[in-house]
Amino acid sequence: MQGPLRGGTGPGLSPVDRRTLLICTFILAVAWGQMNFTGDQVLRILAKDEKQLSLLRDLEGLKPQKVDFWRGPARPSLPVDMRVPFSELRDVKAYLKSHGLAYSVMIKDIQVLLDEERDAMARSRRLERSTSSFSYSSYHTLEEIYSWIDNFVAEHSNLVSKINIGNSFENRSILVLKFSTGGSNRKAIWIDTGIHSREWITHATGIWISNKIVSAYGKDHLLKKILNAMDIFIEIVTNPDGFAFTHSMNRLWRKNKSSQPGIACIGVDLNRNWKTGFGGNGSNRNPCSETYRGPAPQSEPEVAAIVEFITGHGNFKALISIHSYSQMVMYPYGYSLEPVPNYEELFNLAKDTVKALHKVHGIQYTFGSISATLSSGITVDWAYDSGIKYAFSFELRDTGQYGFLLPASQIVPTAQETWMAIRTIMKHTLNHPY
Amino acid sequence: MQPRRPLPPTPLLWLLLSLALPAAAVAPWDRERTDVPARPPAAGLPRGILQLAARAALHFFNFRASSPSALRVLAAVQEGRAWVDPQEGCEVNLVFSTERYNPEEEGEESLGKCSARVFFKNQKPRPAINVTCMGLTEKIKRQERDNLLYKQVKQLKNPLNVISIPDSHGHIDPSLRPLWDLAFLGSSYVMWEKTTQFLNYYLVQISRVKQLKTNDDGIDFDFTVLLHEFSTQEIIPCQIHLFWYPGKPLKVQYHCQELQSPEEASGIDEASAMAPTELSNF
Repeated sequence: MQGPLRGGTGPGLSPVDRRTLLICTFILAVAWGQMNFTGDQVLRILAKDEKQLSLLRDLEGLKPQKVDFWRGPARPSLPVDMRVPFSELRDVKAYLKSHGLAYSVMIKDIQVLLDEERDAMARSRRLERSTSSFSYSSYHTLEEIYSWIDNFVAEHSNLVSKINIGNSFENRSILVLKFSTGGSNRKAIWIDTGIHSREWITHATGIWISNKIVSAYGKDHLLKKILNAMDIFIEIVTNPDGFAFTHSMNRLWRKNKSSQPGIACIGVDLNRNWKTGFGGNGSNRNPCSETYRGPAPQSEPEVAAIVEFITGHGNFKALISIHSYSQMVMYPYGYSLEPVPNYEELFNLAKDTVKALHKVHGIQYTFGSISATLSSGITVDWAYDSGIKYAFSFELRDTGQYGFLLPASQIVPTAQETWMAIRTIMKHTLNHPY
Repeated sequence: MQPRRPLPPTPLLWLLLSLALPAAAVAPWDRERTDVPARPPAAGLPRGILQLAARAALHFFNFRASSPSALRVLAAVQEGRAWVDPQEGCEVNLVFSTERYNPEEEGEESLGKCSARVFFKNQKPRPAINVTCMGLTEKIKRQERDNLLYKQVKQLKNPLNVISIPDSHGHIDPSLRPLWDLAFLGSSYVMWEKTTQFLNYYLVQISRVKQLKTNDDGIDFDFTVLLHEFSTQEIIPCQIHLFWYPGKPLKVQYHCQELQSPEEASGIDEASAMAPTELSNF
């Protein structure tokens, strides 16, 4: 936010001209829904003692606001990061100097940063507009995905419909795609991607697979058999708030964006918030932790929405929850070392799944029970204890070379092999009704 | 395969039988359980310890080799044994295959093979490592490539107008690839020192380049990386300051940021965090 305009003298323009120019820019920026941060800087200050800290807090308290803290004054040993609008730079720096507060410039011009990001994304968007088709080999924003969903459903309305199963913490729609050839409350298969927002390859895979289902339906006899007997549900953006945040502020955000009064850290690990095994050793009670389980089982709207939907439906027979990275196919339990009753069956199905995946591009996955990773309160354990016998968790490419930042060039190959893995599980589910 | 060392006098509580993991497409880790007698696995011996130990050995190996163009990553664990003694620590002996981190020519897989002994003393980080590798790039080729990398870094214009490597879409500009390799080399030292039998690390991103100076003495590179910590899932920012010259041992200093407790957190949405303190010059 631009602060009140002062009569600073910029090069060339008189104070009035400059002020007018800035006001006009501000109005236009607001009108176009884009904030402009040209010349804004982010300063890092190390306060030596409490006195200096309180000086910084004073800055924050000024009305109208002169600075915007990215990392607020907490303790003398911790750095304070604050964004200073261009118009306030001179005054704020003078204030810091006069009070002996040492600072360094972390980001010299925020707008440059934002422009670079925007250019990169515009490049991929431009391609889609000119070929008038959505690019399945790029990463997309939340808005682009939601708009694709609407187009996709409209184009394939004989097979696909969109269901809103609830709202996220920040009030975004939680959407599920339903693939069905008819019937009433048929046996169903659930697939979710993006429960951890930084795992971008999973959303991209979910989108590709959705498209694969509609395009392969006529030619793939097995798929036809599956869809003649069962419905498929795919939730692509399981954590929409977190996903939006990975685009706007922090590419490596994992959790959702829920907050509780009086607690400084934000976000709950949605894959630790499920009822089965909640609170076990494989999750954390520290809200600042990446595996924070949340205040109570199913406390998070994103989890509650799925629980309600699946429970209400009552006829799900398989569930696959997709993550990245590590290249693994896993079955329950995560919270306990105790093997599930149909352990042998799941072991063999996992083995076949990994084999089918390997056939596509030669990528090696390992398989086993989730307890190897020691996680509790997870989706797959809840699904299993709710009666879904074929419950699996996938960890997609790679094994650490790029990790979460998997290059877009790997989206299609990853999706292709993952599809064959999913198809194997669906086939088994079809052939082993219960 | 290294000869078995004599068992220490203190009684061992658990003994994990050796695992034969053929380099096949299917690799279940549940087979470990079927071989172990009906007791719960040792509290100090997590699943995946063999992979963890192999990676730690490679971090150490890469750091020691000090060659950013000859970095190695784990391909597959082939054999391994692990012992835990709650009084002493955890020892892992293993054989594993490696591949080049940055395969250049098509088809140049260049699989190497290493055997290692990794010892974690009393759940502490910085395991003691003995590692030998074979089938790697010959020294002359390595020197050639290091010299080329050095030249490429020298040609980069300062100040670098780059925010993060790779970017959000996993893309690394080819001109910046040498920096990434250097950062990976420096991070190898950090990741080795931080690895415990429970925690291991992956390099996610260079989140900030503070300073890059290249002169005839060598490359002076000051930057911040983000490490991904398993199994806590935390992202750990580490400021690293390294000095490198082709053929000479790498010099590294670093400072990683501690995890915030609920009281410390400022309540503002976290942007990528960066390490705070200044490092003294070499």
